[in-house]
Amino acid sequence: MSLLTVSNLTKRYRRDKKAIAAIDDVSFHIDPGETLALAGPSGSGKSTIARLVLRLIEPDAGRIDFEGNDFLALSGAALRARRARLQMVFQDPLAAFNPRATVARVLDDPLRIHGIASRSERPRRVAELLERVGLTADLATRAIHEISGGQRQRVAIARAIATKPSLIVLDEAVSALDVSVRGQILDLLLDLQRQERIAYLFISHDLGVIRAIAHRVVLLDAGQVAESGDARTVIDAPQSAIGKALVAAVPRLNRIIRQDPT
Amino acid sequence: MTALATVRDLTVTYRRDGSEVAALKSISLDIAAGERLAIIGESGSGKSTLALAIAGLLPASASIGGRIDWFLPSSQSAGAKAPPSVLPDISPSRGEIGSSTVGSSPTASVVGESRDKGTISPLEGEMSGRTEGGLVEREVRKSPFKQSYIPLPGRDIGFVFQDPSASLDPVMTIGKQIAEVARTHLGLTWLQAYAKARHLLERVRLPDPDSALQAFPHQLSGGQKQRVAIAAAIAAGPKLLIADEATSALDTIVQAEIVALIRRLVAEDGMTLLFISHDIALAAELAERIAVFRHGRLVELGTTAQIINAPSQAYTRALLDAHIGLDAKPLLNRAELQT
Repeated sequence: MSLLTVSNLTKRYRRDKKAIAAIDDVSFHIDPGETLALAGPSGSGKSTIARLVLRLIEPDAGRIDFEGNDFLALSGAALRARRARLQMVFQDPLAAFNPRATVARVLDDPLRIHGIASRSERPRRVAELLERVGLTADLATRAIHEISGGQRQRVAIARAIATKPSLIVLDEAVSALDVSVRGQILDLLLDLQRQERIAYLFISHDLGVIRAIAHRVVLLDAGQVAESGDARTVIDAPQSAIGKALVAAVPRLNRIIRQDPT
Repeated sequence: MTALATVRDLTVTYRRDGSEVAALKSISLDIAAGERLAIIGESGSGKSTLALAIAGLLPASASIGGRIDWFLPSSQSAGAKAPPSVLPDISPSRGEIGSSTVGSSPTASVVGESRDKGTISPLEGEMSGRTEGGLVEREVRKSPFKQSYIPLPGRDIGFVFQDPSASLDPVMTIGKQIAEVARTHLGLTWLQAYAKARHLLERVRLPDPDSALQAFPHQLSGGQKQRVAIAAAIAAGPKLLIADEATSALDTIVQAEIVALIRRLVAEDGMTLLFISHDIALAAELAERIAVFRHGRLVELGTTAQIINAPSQAYTRALLDAHIGLDAKPLLNRAELQT
């Protein structure tokens, strides 16, 4: 059974008394432990879908089923409880967190709010979380603004996995990172997925990264699904006009690979 | 190779919270006239500091060592007359000098002119002011104008930044913002300057240039705003165009269009291009030479083919290996999902 099923989702915005569909009749599903990528030009509706799935905004039409429940029907305590299973990591963790908070505080919050660990137990759990994402426990006392961008994104991932989610929405989560750091964060995400069977809704403009880490991809254009399927199949031979345009626009290194004995 | 500018032992240090951070450490490189040179590096590599130093746009808090010498056509330097009234706009760090220049002799119209050997270093001029105070700077300013030439940002150097919304005035029409550059630096009347602006909007392929002249920045998309910023940057016919992460905030398709636009404009106008980017693949597509920066140092500089196919430094190889292109080996073991 699918972990997340999005059916006929529509979101309209009103501008100058005209309704503009940001998302128009979009459907897709994600299986447990699977990475589904959303790609498309700016304005295609990628981030709107992320916000709808997280219920940060409400759709005008359509249905979202998450872990076997009608997710849009949930409210109050039931919604809060379910939200622990659905986490998020954004492009800029500095904007997502209180910059003056310490790393410990950022990780302590979800443990406390979702009642995952008692007050006395929490420092140990914070240290465990830091270790899970490849950081040392002594980072806990540092302020969010003091640590590097790569460390900050690891903290964001640690916070996301604190509530043992089944799905994490990653909205351009590696786009702002230096390439050397980006590879490490992608490895970390794949490790976590392997160990905990976490599914990812991976929103990115980078088709190279999508092809390297996603199982399937949905290409969006003007709020509609233009094309979807196996990530490598779609990106290696796109069928839709927008798919072809997106692939053609990717800068090529055209590297002549030297002979490698392996 | 004819050099447009030579950078020698350039060191830039920022003061922050009482401590000094070296953003550039003894950088020497030549910018060849008419070439497309990419400066690539990760965050903190000093690539943007280099762009600002070359453009003479470093903040007043930066201390600068070394020199940048320019080899610009003499015809241009002979006619180099910036209206004194615009001087405060050139560089906020020089605002004090600009305002005191109004009404003074033309010798003062070039700010921070060098004092030695007919070579030019805007940096030296700035340094004297910063290290020894305003009085000394005033004396420097009054020194006789030598046959030296300092490029004027906006006229000799066009600059395109990452965020076009931040470069454009939100309450001024597109037409006026471009015309203003042409009027200031080329001495055109407003009418001529607007005609020039319209032509530039055509050249940057903005749809419907006539309405665009009257439009405000918020009415345009991100890609269109960057086209306008480019039109303004080239309005005075600069010899050097600096694009600092000019396509990084744009989506991939628009990025490809803007890169193609920059390539075409640089070729048509015979400009030299300094292309600052974190993206080695993008740099390789556009540039003839690539300089790799890390931690404020120049790691290596070579032709694009050399850097991409035969890098001499381990760091360059690491950057190339970290690139995830459409031909990259997938990181995902796809069999695992079937468990």
